[in-house]
Amino acid sequence: MESVTRNLKKEISEKLKDETLRGALGRFAEVYPEARAKAYENAGDIEALREAVRQMKIETVAEIEKVADRFEAEATKRGVKVFRAKDGDALKAYLVDLCREKDVKRIVKSKSMASEEVHLNPYLEAAGITATETDLGEWIVALAGQKPSHMVMPAIHLSRFQVAEYFSKELKTEISPDIAMMVQAARKELREKFLRADMGISGANFGIAENGAIGLVTNEGNARMVTTLPRIHVVIIGYEKLIPTIKDAATILKVLPRSATCQLMTSYTTMISGPTPTMVKKGGKWVEEVKEMHIILLDNGRLRAAKDEKFKEIFQCVRCASCLNVCPVYTLIGGHVYGHIYAGGIGAILTAFLHGMKEFEQFHELCIGCRRCTTVCPGKIDIPGLIEELRIRKVKDKGLPFFLKKTFENVIANRKLFHSLLRLAALGQKPFQEGRLIRHLPLFFAGLAKDRSLPAISDEPLRDRIGRIARTSAYPDKRVAFFSGCTIDFVFPETGESVFTVLQDLNMEVFFPEGQSCCGKPVLAMGDEETTKRIARDNIQALEEQNPDVIVSACPTCTETLRHYTELLKDDPEWGPKASAMARKAREFCSFVAEEYEKRGRLGKKTGGPRVTYHDSCHMKRVLGIENEPRWLLEAAGCEIVEMKDADKCCGMSGIFGVKYAELSLPILEQKIANIRETGATIAACACSGCMVQIQGGLDKKLPQVKMRHVADILAERLVEKENGGRGHENQGHHRQ
Amino acid sequence: MNTTGGTWQRHFPTEKSGAQFFPEFEMRAKAVSAEVFRVPSAREARETLIRLVEAAGVKKAVVVESPLQEAAGITEALRSRGIAVYTDTEEIAAHAETADIGISGVEFGIAETGSVFQDGCAIATRLVTILPPLHVVFLPSANIVPGINEAFEIIAEDFKSGYLGFITGPSRTADIERVLTIGVHGPSRFAIIACDEAPKGGAA
Repeated sequence: MESVTRNLKKEISEKLKDETLRGALGRFAEVYPEARAKAYENAGDIEALREAVRQMKIETVAEIEKVADRFEAEATKRGVKVFRAKDGDALKAYLVDLCREKDVKRIVKSKSMASEEVHLNPYLEAAGITATETDLGEWIVALAGQKPSHMVMPAIHLSRFQVAEYFSKELKTEISPDIAMMVQAARKELREKFLRADMGISGANFGIAENGAIGLVTNEGNARMVTTLPRIHVVIIGYEKLIPTIKDAATILKVLPRSATCQLMTSYTTMISGPTPTMVKKGGKWVEEVKEMHIILLDNGRLRAAKDEKFKEIFQCVRCASCLNVCPVYTLIGGHVYGHIYAGGIGAILTAFLHGMKEFEQFHELCIGCRRCTTVCPGKIDIPGLIEELRIRKVKDKGLPFFLKKTFENVIANRKLFHSLLRLAALGQKPFQEGRLIRHLPLFFAGLAKDRSLPAISDEPLRDRIGRIARTSAYPDKRVAFFSGCTIDFVFPETGESVFTVLQDLNMEVFFPEGQSCCGKPVLAMGDEETTKRIARDNIQALEEQNPDVIVSACPTCTETLRHYTELLKDDPEWGPKASAMARKAREFCSFVAEEYEKRGRLGKKTGGPRVTYHDSCHMKRVLGIENEPRWLLEAAGCEIVEMKDADKCCGMSGIFGVKYAELSLPILEQKIANIRETGATIAACACSGCMVQIQGGLDKKLPQVKMRHVADILAERLVEKENGGRGHENQGHHRQ
Repeated sequence: MNTTGGTWQRHFPTEKSGAQFFPEFEMRAKAVSAEVFRVPSAREARETLIRLVEAAGVKKAVVVESPLQEAAGITEALRSRGIAVYTDTEEIAAHAETADIGISGVEFGIAETGSVFQDGCAIATRLVTILPPLHVVFLPSANIVPGINEAFEIIAEDFKSGYLGFITGPSRTADIERVLTIGVHGPSRFAIIACDEAPKGGAA
């Protein structure tokens, strides 16, 4: 297929205006997590089930050729004709030849994403063969001349009124927008097609090597019609659907319906091994015959992925689409924008292999790396990690756009220049600044500040304040290097001061290594591994200079990136070991302080403080796995915690995304602000400076009575209060286990 | 060959299956809009079916026999009430599309999901199962396994070739505005008559 250059910004703005789509996806995103949890209630240990899928798929992909050979041999033995299609062209040629040979004019199809992937239907049509989609959703999008916008619910973006219009046009009669009536109209129309079809084409949810069977998981009953009524059945199945044994099907069936549609089992789950009997009308009489069965095993890039050390992971996908259902970006704009044929983050990865990097490049930036999908994926695929890997490969292959490349290499990797520019920005922003925030921006920058104030660059960065705040201790408990990250250094230096206050109170000697710079995450996120390595070496050098016991950061992304240096520099004989040694000392502020408080018996719950709601930053919870410690610290500071809805859902910042795609970032932020409002808290706390930028900006415009504070700030304020003889906050003596 | 090859009955009862799982099976099946009738005897199984077809105004039935149905005399009972009943494969092929009801037997149920398992290798079985608007199945109520894993332990032993299916409630869709709608391509009503009395010969 010819690749068309997309105008993503325009597509986004159109979808954001589509009230039907926004309503449908928004409502779905709202109910999905709970419905999913309910479906898993009687399934046993959900993590064990996910691990079982992952393990089974890992073992399968390791010997995919052997599994495929067995599948082919077993199916062939039973009388199936198996064809291995290396790509879409081979598949289509085989199918059209078959249709000509067997005089097939009419085809009924049950759902097959693989057939969408190779653009089968237009090809058949051009060959004079009518192919009718019989899955209701697929039929609707086909009538609309569209592509599915979701792998499981193809027509989720359409309203009953739109569907009624398409039906009226197709059936040449007025169809009212009554859902039950429309379903009956579809039943009647499609029943005729089933009965008259010469061939049925189905996809497959799995293929069993042990007995050459295919499995179909459906609700409408159309797959049973497609595989039962016509005299020929053709299965299109991708290599990733193969599983070794019959019992492995149970592993899939335990999770697939639960994750896909929140059902314990779909209405019809069918397994077919070899050709089965069918009825054929001959001379006005019905005669039983064994039907003809073909299986087309589709490669189209899959086997290349199977041999790739990183991307063999896509074989762990069972196509349940749960990753889409929890994705903050997908649930705003749907799969037509966030996707090519396959939607969402997993769609971006599949697209890279099945359709090429050019298609991938057109929409991969929509993955904001919040990692929410990784908590639900039944195959435990690291979707954001694989997207980041594709970005790195793209940059290795083709380089960055000139401007970005120069910015990264010459500015961010050059600490002195980068910091001078930030200081200059502090001056340049003055005309637009009110207090610590920028509320209005001129001209085309205005969109950035709509519904969100931008933080002002501080007049005095943290690095200039160290002389005033650092205290020495004769016998320090630990010597701590503070890695501030750019945001705390230049935007929230007061939070940096709080970190000093809290750690010094624990009798630690805290120092600020001057030579530290940006952790490199924004550069890495754009795929520029080489520049990130330069930054990493500079930071390791700076942080290790005074040989600290611990390296603390109050930004989870910085901690994560410091630790990632190990992986980044693993092939570097000089810097690899240094990176590992440094990474072992890198600690996130909250978990480190909680541990120290615990040792000193200071982690008990106290009362008398403000009502606080805590936002879990994506990378704090899902990369570092820290969610309890900040809450314990807040309680130890006397705060009353009121949990907000979706506390761990992304705030929409995500580095450069929040600026480049402000139109998507803002609706995500709006949801967060609404959830904060619901709690009635006076303080919104978090432990990530990136989230602070975003949430503070939103609160300032929409909910100014609520203040955004870093956990470190709240702890430091409590200490200052105590020093000033503050009242209340009696220790209740509940110690953490 | 009209069956997948297994005499499914030899798997029941074992310590891994039995009527003790029936209450959960019934609850789950009803939760997905299946109608469940548990009866103590073949006679009551017949009476339940007759009440059902009379209430539905059935005039034409397609039936695939099972030991439980034969023991209950289902086909004769329907015919004696003036209902046209087709049982031969060729007749079923000709009439399934216009029949008011399809009747068949199933091998076992799964408590975890409220599903019934049917060997559908015979084309007649698949036609009566999928084409008429009402589908009634007969199930020995002791043939219930607790979960999907146990079901596959049984299936893995016998599934050499053929067409197997789990049926879980009636045909459904939520493809328009995610509104659950019953009865798209398959039956809009699905009823399970579960009988405590095992038919002679033991097989379901």
